[in-house]
Amino acid sequence: MKILTTDPFKEPAAILYRRCTVDLRSGAITLEDVPCRNFEEVLGGFGRSFQLLAERQITTAYCDENPLIVNTGLLTGSNAMTGMRTYFSGYSPLKASGKGLPAAMWSASSGKFGAKFKWTGLDELIFENRSDTPVYIVIGEGLDGPQVELKPAGHLLGLSTHEKIMALQKDHDNAHFAAIGPAGENWANVYMGAVALSTENQLKSGDDKCRFAGRGGMGSLMGYKNVIALVARSTDKLKALSEAVKKVNINVVKGGGSARLQPISRGGGGGTWAAYDVMQGFHAVPINNFRPQGNDLPEKLFRENVDKEYHIKSEACFRCGITCHNNVYAKNADGSAGKFLAKFDYEPLNLLSTNLGIHDAGQAASLIHLGDNYGMDAISLGVTISYALSYNERHPQKPILNGATFGDYEKIRELIIQAGKGRLPEIGRGSRRLSESTGETAYAYHVKGLELAAYLPETNPGYAWAIAGGHMSMGTYGTLIREGKSDIDSWVRAITQEKLNIVGFDMIGLCKFFDISKGIATQMVIDCLKDELGLEVTAEALAMAVRRAFLRGLAMELRQGYDKAEYTLPAEVFESPNPHIRLPRIATPEFFGELSRRVWEVFKPELEEFLP
Amino acid sequence: MNTIDSVKIRIKLAGVFRINRFKEEERCYPFGITVLEVVEDLRLPEHLLGIVVINDVHAGTEDVLRDGDTLALFPLLGGG
Repeated sequence: MKILTTDPFKEPAAILYRRCTVDLRSGAITLEDVPCRNFEEVLGGFGRSFQLLAERQITTAYCDENPLIVNTGLLTGSNAMTGMRTYFSGYSPLKASGKGLPAAMWSASSGKFGAKFKWTGLDELIFENRSDTPVYIVIGEGLDGPQVELKPAGHLLGLSTHEKIMALQKDHDNAHFAAIGPAGENWANVYMGAVALSTENQLKSGDDKCRFAGRGGMGSLMGYKNVIALVARSTDKLKALSEAVKKVNINVVKGGGSARLQPISRGGGGGTWAAYDVMQGFHAVPINNFRPQGNDLPEKLFRENVDKEYHIKSEACFRCGITCHNNVYAKNADGSAGKFLAKFDYEPLNLLSTNLGIHDAGQAASLIHLGDNYGMDAISLGVTISYALSYNERHPQKPILNGATFGDYEKIRELIIQAGKGRLPEIGRGSRRLSESTGETAYAYHVKGLELAAYLPETNPGYAWAIAGGHMSMGTYGTLIREGKSDIDSWVRAITQEKLNIVGFDMIGLCKFFDISKGIATQMVIDCLKDELGLEVTAEALAMAVRRAFLRGLAMELRQGYDKAEYTLPAEVFESPNPHIRLPRIATPEFFGELSRRVWEVFKPELEEFLP
Repeated sequence: MNTIDSVKIRIKLAGVFRINRFKEEERCYPFGITVLEVVEDLRLPEHLLGIVVINDVHAGTEDVLRDGDTLALFPLLGGG
């Protein structure tokens, strides 16, 4: 990136990012320095990629004109804690409007790949068209800047995400990797393919501890393009740590913003897994396809219970002091860690266990591990399977697929394997398509074609306005359960003002756990931009850029044919209220109707600028 | 038996708050006691306190507890 100004808000064109465009059909590789058109492009991530996507008229995700954009944010590869994000953007094979047009999506991941990518000197990599043969891409650092080359990848086909990464590591030292799994290779039948990114811990230990860009099927789009993996080779290029950034990093760890995510042994809350304990207090842990039963079954996967049989280690991404990973290992006779089994985060754990009627930690770990190895988004995979199980529970005489029911571990495992191999498009293409094929759509837990996270829609009407995944692009998942807000005014304000700010992290290169409640328009981010890049920005400028990027995303949904009626919740929520949830019932047709009217009233005038 | 000077509170703890404490317990406190004073009495890490619920209704740390109240204390909820 060339930075020729200290004021990127007023002079965005004086910031030039290094873009490489790879024409996969011809093999042509073009490197250029591109001036930013506005502050959103300066920040990066989807703030930039969505502007390129908005210029294309795409009617089907699997077409030559749909690019796959890999980029980073301003603070990726910096000393700012969590600055490791890589973003994958394109029109999604999975998320589509009722009119059948694909929605623009992005998906984010940590792991060290993003930092290595940035350190090669590249800011953005765009794949146009598709390759006739499988290839992987090596991005390296040359004397005159980044170098990009295509290499044959036939030898990688069929390997799991982890196996691909370990195979590539043998040939490329000082590198990090991004790879699809068999699911992405079988893109025609799997729309929920993820991209796995390598971690330091993974490369050193040999355990499959990838991180994933899962949402929206960016791994499937990568597979369609016949790009099997990416390699970023570079020396580490962290500059000297300034006092100001050091203070920021200490504040990230000790200031309270990440306290809930830190290890229990350090006085923290124990990571996202701890959400189980909180949600269960309200009988709001999704169980058997998002239908809590008012019982204590979810407690079987409380950490305190898993801890009795397994060894749990708190581990971290590269240089991250938050240490939010809860890696579960078999427990040796002496109590020490045995074989690595899986990483327990709230979403994959719940949606691939409790929500499938599985309450055994070993089985849960196995299913998470399997989904990761095949390279599928845990959320979409789990929710699509839970739909199928729910259908079978309702139709015991005429079940679908292999007849799996809630709690049937072996059959659920088989569904994951077959889906991952591309032999079960009913699962691989997501819950919306499956429910439309059965004609029973009311209990398919997706919004706008993208499966819901493990927060009940009864507690989160904000799902309807999330632009790239339920809880990570609209931070209202805690508005009722955490803040106790059940009035319309609070919800309108949350959706239209406060909670959309969560998407700022998907521009700037930081993980949301940097400061999830406050977003990026903070002094901490301002200090990092100043000391790391010499940029003078204000909180107002950051907030404005985040809002504009969010609104652009919303406008792009409308442009792709989304009807306002699609901004809703699964019908079961309204038609069959769950009496077991111990929270005020806000997901009524009346409340939601009024909320919808008022939210659009705020957004509509602002959207006009972004609509064609 | 309660006197006019004390209140009996049923306390429910969740998550890390249970470690070396309890899941559910009845305790007597002086009349007029607030949620925050109970949190301090239990030596709960305040920086982790995320949700306060009194009798199934969200509440705040300054709220005064009454005889027979059920107080549920939850750690912060975060992410996915």
